Amino acid sequence: MMELLLALLNDAFFSAIPAVGFAMVFNVPKRFLPYCAVAGALGHSFRTLLLHIGLPIEWATFAAAALVGLVTIGFAKRHLAPPLMYAVAAIIPMIPGTYAFNTVIALVQLTAQSEISPELTSEVISNGLKTVFILGALSVGLAMPSLLYFRTRPVI
Amino acid sequence: MYADTQNDITRQVVRVAQLLLAYGAESELVEEISQRLGYALGLAGVEISISSNSLVLTSLVHGRCITTTRRTREHGINMTIVCELQRICLLTEKGLYGLNEVRKRVSRIEPRTYPKRYLVPMIGLSCASFCHLFGGDIAASVITFFASSIGMFVRVSIAKHHFNLLLNFAVTAFVTTLIAQLGYQFSLTDTPKLPMAASVLMLVPGFPMINSISDMVKGHLNVGISRWGHATLLTVSSVIGITIAMQLGGLFL
Repeated sequence: MMELLLALLNDAFFSAIPAVGFAMVFNVPKRFLPYCAVAGALGHSFRTLLLHIGLPIEWATFAAAALVGLVTIGFAKRHLAPPLMYAVAAIIPMIPGTYAFNTVIALVQLTAQSEISPELTSEVISNGLKTVFILGALSVGLAMPSLLYFRTRPVI
Repeated sequence: MYADTQNDITRQVVRVAQLLLAYGAESELVEEISQRLGYALGLAGVEISISSNSLVLTSLVHGRCITTTRRTREHGINMTIVCELQRICLLTEKGLYGLNEVRKRVSRIEPRTYPKRYLVPMIGLSCASFCHLFGGDIAASVITFFASSIGMFVRVSIAKHHFNLLLNFAVTAFVTTLIAQLGYQFSLTDTPKLPMAASVLMLVPGFPMINSISDMVKGHLNVGISRWGHATLLTVSSVIGITIAMQLGGLFL
């Protein structure tokens, strides 16, 4: 139990840093940076918790992104700012970077050796599918609150 | 309402929509803000059609309509401006701003970015934390920090000279990977693959991808597809940079 808590805290801290870093790349105003950090930490540690319970990574990502969407709508209502401003920075730590990297590298290797090898092909397909589905889960999960609750009225 | 007033209001509304598109707002938000601003300023209707690099806006009042077209250009993502425009729209809706205040506030908007000396170390730290989250050891994280800091420095310096974004991403990916593979060359770390994967994560076009899928989900299919195409091109050009750097380092042939 204690270990899980420590792992979650570690996760929350180290995903808050990229959330702030990428929020700065997107030029989020300075006074909103802490909120991006909070949303990012919450999202990523929630996903780690779900993964720990044994959910597949796609569903865990979907649920975590929906949570981020919900939290950021709360922030947006308080500050009268577009919710996507917080949300995109917050989900950056959950982007399937290693899967995408492995896919592309295997693809390039496949091109270079000019014959089909089953190992590389299976690596391309499995990593590529993971990348696509996690990305889809992220953005559809993020849009979930506005698809379910804010169907006819604007968020702010 | 006189014709010149309608002209004036339409100009302000289309200017707001143009700025929103140029600085990376999603289509749904652009449509919503320009319609609400138009109603708040006294128009009876605002219809807007957005395509990948232009927008057409028609304003309707007293049975008279004005249609105007604007070319939009990508200026990179700047949430400060989107936030400011949303605030202008809300304040106008509450009746605090009239046409003159809107014009004044919109003309005062200018893009401000974070200075390089904060941006570069922050991105270095971000990618180092990615490396840590993926399970890399301390040495791997340190390599990632230096690789992505130098990469970010290169990216910002190139962007200042208005080079093509695709070229920028390829060169940045090349430099970043060249430094990140030091872990392989000198066996500094037990997890030499992770710095290479983590340090190029700063090039992931996160905002265009999220924007494109949320556009497509909300029914703006053609804008969504064109943004998806742009994000894919950016990814491909960074892959080209990564591949050249890895072949120079002899990691695979």
